[in-house]
Amino acid sequence: MPADTSIQNAAPVGVGPGKRSWWSAKSELGPLDYARRWWMKLFLGVMFAMLYAPIFTLMMFSFNDSKRNVVWKGFTFKYYIKAWNNDSLFLAFTNSLTIAVLSTILSTIIGGMVALTLWRFRFPGKPAYEGFMALPIVVPEICMGVAMLVFFARIGWPAGMPWPLNLSAITIAHVAFSFPFVAVVVRARMSGFNRELEEAAKDLGASEWQTFRDVILPFMKPGLIAGALLAFTLSLDDFVITFFTSGPDTVTFPVKVYSMVRFSVTPEVNAASTLLIVITVIATALAMKIQSPDKGPAH
Amino acid sequence: MVLENWKTNRFVFWVMSLPGTFWLVVFFLAPLSLVWILSFGEKTGILTIDITWTFDNYIRSFEAVYLKVIWKSIWISFLATVLCLIIAYPISIAISFAPNKWKPILLLAVILPFWINLLIRTYALIAVLRTRGYVNFTLEWFWDSANAILAFIGLGSFQLLGAEFDALPLLYNDFAVIAGLVYVFMPFMVLPLYANVEKLDKSYLEASLDLGAGHWRTLRSVVIPLTMPGIISGVILVFIPALGTFLIPDLLGGTNAQMIGNVIERQFKAANDWPFGSALSFLLMYVTFGALALRALLSREGGGMDV
Amino acid sequence: MTRRSPLLRPTRRNFMSGIAGVAGVAAGLTFLPRGTMADEEKKLSFYNWDTYIGETTLDDFNKATGIEAKMDLYADNAELFAKLKEGNPGYDVIVPTNDYVERMLKAEILETLDHSMIPNMSNLETAFQDANFDPGRAHTVPYMWGTIGIGYRGKKVEGVPASWKWLYDSDKYAGKIALLGDALTVIGHAAKYLGHSLNTKDPAQIKQAEELIIAQKKHIKVFANDNGQDLLLSGEVNLTQEWNGDILQVMEEDDDIGYVVPTEGGVLWQDCMCIPKGAPHPKNAHAFMNFILDADVGAAIADFIQYATPNRAAKGKMEDSYTKNPAIFPTEETLAKCEPALYLGEEATRLYDEAWTRIKAA
Repeated sequence: MPADTSIQNAAPVGVGPGKRSWWSAKSELGPLDYARRWWMKLFLGVMFAMLYAPIFTLMMFSFNDSKRNVVWKGFTFKYYIKAWNNDSLFLAFTNSLTIAVLSTILSTIIGGMVALTLWRFRFPGKPAYEGFMALPIVVPEICMGVAMLVFFARIGWPAGMPWPLNLSAITIAHVAFSFPFVAVVVRARMSGFNRELEEAAKDLGASEWQTFRDVILPFMKPGLIAGALLAFTLSLDDFVITFFTSGPDTVTFPVKVYSMVRFSVTPEVNAASTLLIVITVIATALAMKIQSPDKGPAH
Repeated sequence: MVLENWKTNRFVFWVMSLPGTFWLVVFFLAPLSLVWILSFGEKTGILTIDITWTFDNYIRSFEAVYLKVIWKSIWISFLATVLCLIIAYPISIAISFAPNKWKPILLLAVILPFWINLLIRTYALIAVLRTRGYVNFTLEWFWDSANAILAFIGLGSFQLLGAEFDALPLLYNDFAVIAGLVYVFMPFMVLPLYANVEKLDKSYLEASLDLGAGHWRTLRSVVIPLTMPGIISGVILVFIPALGTFLIPDLLGGTNAQMIGNVIERQFKAANDWPFGSALSFLLMYVTFGALALRALLSREGGGMDV
Repeated sequence: MTRRSPLLRPTRRNFMSGIAGVAGVAAGLTFLPRGTMADEEKKLSFYNWDTYIGETTLDDFNKATGIEAKMDLYADNAELFAKLKEGNPGYDVIVPTNDYVERMLKAEILETLDHSMIPNMSNLETAFQDANFDPGRAHTVPYMWGTIGIGYRGKKVEGVPASWKWLYDSDKYAGKIALLGDALTVIGHAAKYLGHSLNTKDPAQIKQAEELIIAQKKHIKVFANDNGQDLLLSGEVNLTQEWNGDILQVMEEDDDIGYVVPTEGGVLWQDCMCIPKGAPHPKNAHAFMNFILDADVGAAIADFIQYATPNRAAKGKMEDSYTKNPAIFPTEETLAKCEPALYLGEEATRLYDEAWTRIKAA
């Protein structure tokens, strides 16, 4: 049923009482303008405040001049300097980033292919296959962590390889639990694809590969992006599985933070996290600025 | 939508399905089956485990104390999931109805905390909830102000609000664990919900309102059924990890905050009883897997929205 | 019908550029000179507790021998053991506590030491030159030792709470008590309070201890694994069961905090350096242990981390504020009542773990 999107913003005729909010004399609120109702704004405001209060605390406490960081003792930048000079922290962060990038690339490719297979084909044992694909999402993380530890030990995975090969064990584990998530997201996206387009392309003489590249892939892209984003986050933040598969030279950021934080919550950790947040925000803001010129409802 | 029979295009089928299948089998099912085999083993020494194909570990996991812990975990995860849903649903509706230029910013605002390390976020939550944390500071400020007003109007000496400010015990109890779970898993609920609400055909809502239904009725009868796939995805993405979590109860919980994840973790570490830990993990997995299979059976070809 | 893409459509390009940037950074970083990438010889992998080393010890070791030591952290013995169980992932020196040393010895995952490479062993106190859990010090070198006792906030408690009763058997400080979080420690100390041994294997005694704790649970605020001292400092609790060094570290920040070993006694622990089997640099490991046993190095470490050193020569270089501190070096009579923790064997460990599960589920 085609919807005239102009309905959404037009003044409603004969519909329920469109409330006039008392402070905005701008336009009458349409019945579906939920986001502009004051109670919704209040709700959103409170929710975001609660979401960010701990983070704000975290950032504030990174300036705390106290070894134990429990009570506020004074303002200082020294922990930022300490964090910046902390080689092992940097190494851990680099490891985390490398693993996340590699894992995301592999997961996206593999997950995308799995999604396409499930979307397109009918084959014997499909429900069971789908079930097995869902397993990594269902498994308790600690179980998988131990499984990975035992697996790599039993098959004698070589240790002590030069960087970045020594991160291979962790990366493999990350891909294993990430690609089903990507598959789910991509599959959800593909459910909206009109197969007639594919058939039309084939009718016009396109080969399998051309059809894929020029018709299917562009449609898949948002799903792939969303899936990649998810895989990236999962990998970057993973603690349990990485903990069991990491060794002396392959410490990642969450594992490092965990070991630092169990004993003494120094402001150094807060400083490192704040730096991370700031970098992320700046990077994202920049990226969005870059693509804003041709922003619009087009896809 | 018609599915192609794999035989019609074998080459493409194999090319597309092989990488995923290979990875799943070699790097997931194989390790997992090692642990599965372990669950039938017996400790014969400090490091050695003998695979005697015994069911002892499973029998032990059905003891009352473990069932009690599993029940508590299910209950806490359920509460956390429901709360997550109640909070995330309005947020996703608000975002999807927001003007276009706000949408990415709002979405990012929801996801951004997710990019901060889980442990750090949990520790930050502790700083907010503890006896001398933000929430109590704010409440104490209110209490002081209220007392000042009371003193001003002459009722000061009656100590109407109590002799001393009683800080709310917000930490080291089940409340803190649930709050922590909601806080940590919120993005997992918002994203699938948003994806669904966004795809919603707004004309349905218009039609419902046109026909005289109020907003609540529209929500109940139109919006919720139409966004059900998103709701289910979100619920699954929150409930299942919450069930197996051990870090949050460990850091935020009180003396009785023990979830099945903690018990499993202890078996693999302090108790050094890997067969039993494996048995418990697999028990947990069978339960969740069973629920998922049931759901898949009931919804058959749902257009690929399954998790 | 305009279909909107489900998720973060505007961030598609932003993500692409983000990824490009990240990949560029990662690629660039691979070309940075990295000490850990190249040669194997002059390296050491030290797996230790956090904040359990002097401020400049590793750098000093590098200056003295040219060996670059990297320190990784673990938070408890169980974690260390779990990591080593399936084979040594590459650590050269580890620092387990004495009961875990016993467990590791029984599991045969520790390397025998070559004492000729550790001449500084003579710096140790006579009492520490041998150990009943490791005869002849064949596998271990003592690092630090200490006690577990009660950290308290002076102004909020009556006098000096010198008994486990206040934590295990009384509601006087209800809601402001923290205990440790390890099954063996908490139940063991409860057993000690009840007059049994800390290392009891008797199921009846364990059960008794379990019931005591379950009855006391409603007065205990939290089982704090390793941040009891932070809770004390922040005022969340007024009494906590903690290691002496941890309490000493917060005593520096707040004068109102004190430490006492209860009259019933507590556990006497000893952390030892050992070399796990399969260590890639055993020679460097020996050199490292010898370096730590040096008098000056030992003194610097002890001064920084405020734990009791078994190194007689190092202790001789310390000031009175350290050597005469009863929190660090307990009196003879206190020591007499303390017990070292023993490795109880797998069956008894299981009893304790099951009791702990029941305690936490109650």
